[in-house]
Amino acid sequence: MKSPIPILDCHGHIGVHPDFPHYKTAPAEMVRVMDHLNIEKLAVTSTLACYNDCPRGNEEVAEVLREFPDRFLGYITVNPNPPGEAIAELLKHKDFHHPPLIKFHPELHQYPVNGPHYMPVYEYANQTGAIILVHTWDSDANCGPLMFASLGKQFPRMRVILGHSGVTWRGYTQAIETVKQTENTFMDISGSQSHRTVMEHSVEQVGHERILFGSDMPFLEASMLLGRVMTARISDAAKEAILRKNFERLLNEK
Amino acid sequence: MLKSATEAFLAECVEWNAFDANVYLGHSGTRGVLALEAPELLAEMDRFGIARALVSHNVGLEYDAVEGNHALMRDAHQRFVPAWTVTPDAGALLDFASREAKAARLWFATSHHNFSSAAWCSGEVLEQMQHRNVLALISKSDIDWDALHSLLENFPRLNVLLLEIGYRADRYMNPLLKKFPNLYFDTSMYAAHRQLEWHVETIGPERMIYGSRLPYYTPGASLAMLGTARISDAAKVAVAGGNLRRLLGERA
Repeated sequence: MKSPIPILDCHGHIGVHPDFPHYKTAPAEMVRVMDHLNIEKLAVTSTLACYNDCPRGNEEVAEVLREFPDRFLGYITVNPNPPGEAIAELLKHKDFHHPPLIKFHPELHQYPVNGPHYMPVYEYANQTGAIILVHTWDSDANCGPLMFASLGKQFPRMRVILGHSGVTWRGYTQAIETVKQTENTFMDISGSQSHRTVMEHSVEQVGHERILFGSDMPFLEASMLLGRVMTARISDAAKEAILRKNFERLLNEK
Repeated sequence: MLKSATEAFLAECVEWNAFDANVYLGHSGTRGVLALEAPELLAEMDRFGIARALVSHNVGLEYDAVEGNHALMRDAHQRFVPAWTVTPDAGALLDFASREAKAARLWFATSHHNFSSAAWCSGEVLEQMQHRNVLALISKSDIDWDALHSLLENFPRLNVLLLEIGYRADRYMNPLLKKFPNLYFDTSMYAAHRQLEWHVETIGPERMIYGSRLPYYTPGASLAMLGTARISDAAKVAVAGGNLRRLLGERA
């Protein structure tokens, strides 16, 4: 199966993972997989930054953007600790994309999204209309999807992509609830759990305009997400929006 | 354009004559939204071109082994191959002995049937399964890696199909697969980046068996992973059903 339309993928990585073998994770190899599935562009965050070192990780992304400017978009990954580093990184890499693409991984950085160290980043995102991709997980104390219901209202000009939409079925219900309560939050379908009917349920609850295709490549298998979308009992217009148009619209809104 | 692409993909799936190794049947006390009775489950299998399924019954998982086996009999269908539930209890062993069993499910976890996989507890069950050439189905969440190693070492002629291993398991699975020729696993949660290709390159396609985890997961995901893997068509057909048919004593 190959996507019949070029995909704009909102959730990818550069780098490897500590707990399974590395395979086809080099950017050039990822591009070949993207061609195989018809993923035109992949927005990436550095895995090194998510786990360990944001400044060095963001430099890795800068290098990949220089090498493959037409295939990758770059998130600036920020860690709320130490305070001040996040804003410095955002300013250093402000040319990655306009509006800025920012990544949080509160589970790995072990800091809650509503903690004070994130507030300068939300203010920056609100001023610039940035898109923040946040790793979320069902009821997680650092990054449960429901935590963005109030943050979304508090900072109405930023856009927040709820990475993985909470993953579990209950996590999806939390993401749906947040998207219903706010105008600037969106669901990302990446995640390892392929719940039957969750695509149909999500479209029914929030509308197809608020759902984005994410693969989590080269962590998870992108075709798993493509299969979920393509075989869901939703309209072709909804599939087209999820695979491409919704992320395209967000990227082009300044 | 999108509709025809989906139809073409589903038509390709039909050609694999898929035999799904990981399907749950019947009412569930915990997964009520997604659980399906037999007619609806068969309709989902039809939609994805899945010819047959190795089915475990939710009554056996969530309630009682013998009652679960009665439910499997009640909901029997020619496209279902029952995975009978068995425990070390005398009544369950007697029930299991009465079945024409090709496969049986062992729910070791304390939250399920709560017994040890070690020979001092499950020896009689496992010996009977080995003797009768019954395929043992075990969910990864029901057994730890060291206990699985002991089970495989103690029962070298018992074929074990480990289900739902997840995508972070290769550093455990690969040494076990290399050491024990009687170990197999299903693809339902084997979902890391290009992981099917990596496995075929590293181990080969013979030990990997298609599973969807219906009705909880959509087969659209697992079938797309198999369909887009850059492995040979013969390997895809083997993973989709040939390997399981061979394990159950049928023509692959």
